[in-house]
Amino acid sequence: MINVGIISYAHPHALRYGTTFASNHKAKLYAISGDGANADIARTEAQKMKAKFYSNYESLLKDEKVDAVYIAIETYRHKEIAIRAAEEGKHILLEKPIALTLEDADKIIKAVKKAGVKLMVPFNPRFTVPLKKAKAMIDSGEIGNLEYIYAISEYVKPPIFLEGLDMSWFLDKNKSGGGGFMDTAPHGIDSLLWLVNDEPKTIYASIGSKIFGFPVDDIGTAVLEFKNGVVAVLNAGWANPKGYSYGLEIKYYLLGKEGFLDIRTAYPDFTVYQDKAEKIYWERADVSGIVNSFLNSIIEDKEPLITGEMAKKNLEIILAAYESSKTGKLVKF
Amino acid sequence: MGKLKIGIIGCGNIFNLAHKNALKNIKEVKVVSCMDIKAKRAKEAAKEFNAKAYTTLDEFLSQELDVVEILTPTYTHAELAVKALKSGKHVIVEKPIALTSKEAKKMIDIAEKEDLTLLVGHTRRFDKRWIQIKEVIKKRNMVPMQIRKAEVQRLPFPESAWYWKPNKGGGVAIDLGVHVTDFLRWYFKSEPVEILGIGKAIRKEAQVNNTYDHFLMMIQFEGNKTGLAEVSWAYSYPARYGVFYHHLDILGKNGRIRYTPLDTPVVGVVKHHFEMPRFSPLLSAFPEAFEAELRHFFRVIMGKEEPRITAKDALIALQMAEIAIESAKRGEPLEFKGVRE
Repeated sequence: MINVGIISYAHPHALRYGTTFASNHKAKLYAISGDGANADIARTEAQKMKAKFYSNYESLLKDEKVDAVYIAIETYRHKEIAIRAAEEGKHILLEKPIALTLEDADKIIKAVKKAGVKLMVPFNPRFTVPLKKAKAMIDSGEIGNLEYIYAISEYVKPPIFLEGLDMSWFLDKNKSGGGGFMDTAPHGIDSLLWLVNDEPKTIYASIGSKIFGFPVDDIGTAVLEFKNGVVAVLNAGWANPKGYSYGLEIKYYLLGKEGFLDIRTAYPDFTVYQDKAEKIYWERADVSGIVNSFLNSIIEDKEPLITGEMAKKNLEIILAAYESSKTGKLVKF
Repeated sequence: MGKLKIGIIGCGNIFNLAHKNALKNIKEVKVVSCMDIKAKRAKEAAKEFNAKAYTTLDEFLSQELDVVEILTPTYTHAELAVKALKSGKHVIVEKPIALTSKEAKKMIDIAEKEDLTLLVGHTRRFDKRWIQIKEVIKKRNMVPMQIRKAEVQRLPFPESAWYWKPNKGGGVAIDLGVHVTDFLRWYFKSEPVEILGIGKAIRKEAQVNNTYDHFLMMIQFEGNKTGLAEVSWAYSYPARYGVFYHHLDILGKNGRIRYTPLDTPVVGVVKHHFEMPRFSPLLSAFPEAFEAELRHFFRVIMGKEEPRITAKDALIALQMAEIAIESAKRGEPLEFKGVRE
């Protein structure tokens, strides 16, 4: 049984990871700390889940019973806390993006290596059932040589308060590193790298605050050309209107030389129609898949499916997209 | 003014699939001459309208005609249009306006000099789907900021067909490209400033002809708007899956509109395999679009309406596709200067 501690409920994903860890038979949700935004929610969740509550992460990390931590604090504090967690010998599931800069990502990776602990960063699409099926079909040659991908990784207009969570730090570039593109594109990029099984050669992007007038970007479009010739388009951001039926929507068109795959929304759902239509997800295979992969890497002492290096590569591509958007030029890797 | 006398040049694919039936429904005009270099085709077409058949251009143009419709392969548009204009005929030419923007400019200059009308068959502007979506955008006060428009299919013609020849049809980037570049300009109501093009040759037909069959354009428009144009002849489904042609996804201020292939009226047929039969002779357009286009064009020629799309618009659509191809060759985004020249 692995004792898991959650550091911070600043990121709303902490709610779902909390319940997912709590219901996993290989883990125990042992402790929660209330650093960063939403400290009050962290305290309430700790009571609800019968987990120990610490008001700061230092005391959680000093608790020797904690084996692993899930860090969901504001991105600008990832480096500080991930390094401390590694120093205390805790395995780490670290929210994406890995850090604000590549230098910070390097420092985290170095600390983790030195401590000999596991580090995983959660990117969801590759843990969804339809995309796993698509990947298997590509790898077995069922659609011929992969040629082109159109990918959507989009969220709806973010409320500043979601289920009582204060998310205003997402609109502060110094804390989040960027807006809708920084928030959602890492998922799309990870899945592209995984599907294409190669590295990008160039990226060209337009990212901006175009829809809602937030102080950070809300929509981004990127075109990537991979070394093996695959061309991909990624739409990512928060550009959907509030009335959109999906929360995070993940969707792909894959064109192979001998086949075309239309991969629809990642999460199985049902729809409730009242004054408005609402989709309710009945399963999140992606989150339980991430949690299982993380726990198994600890139990079986093997590399997690998504490593720190992969998360750093992901960030490098995201930052290159912002660079391209800023300069209007193609960025070459 | 009596009925407009129409002459047709090129009685092949697009004539038989689209223009023939549209022209039959328009009572205000009379097709009097049909020309094709293949005598059999000219004769068959002429029979449909009780018209005369021709196989040579000079003979055809020496007749008394008000309007010449040019429905031939792209590389012949310019020469035929110039000759028709010089012999005093108004001209309606299928899209793309010409193979190159240089030729297109010459056509426009001559039409102006001769004080004749030159119109280009950009059918999308007359398709009720796109007209209605555009009206909804306006009525609901939406401002498109990012539009993805795809026109994708599996081109059913053999590698010897002119479509595949860069010096005859220009490849998919020109042939379907001009539809989408015009569509984006029409919807955004702003001008392109920078274009990135990426092309691929996926099918053998494209590879042996040294042309692209899958082409992506990312086009930056004034006002920080982003257009994605995807055109392809390399999609792998057979023509019986006809509905999978158009994709439209508009994100903007005050909402999103998405038109997916499955929003098209569909009859799903399950036998030993699943198929969705075509409901229109063309994959890309409802037959009504051609009729609406031609009715409008004839009214423009009669001086009763202002053109909804001018030859200049068609020229810009072609210039955008040309810049995109140049960008693909150079591997970097290029500034678009065409409109301001």
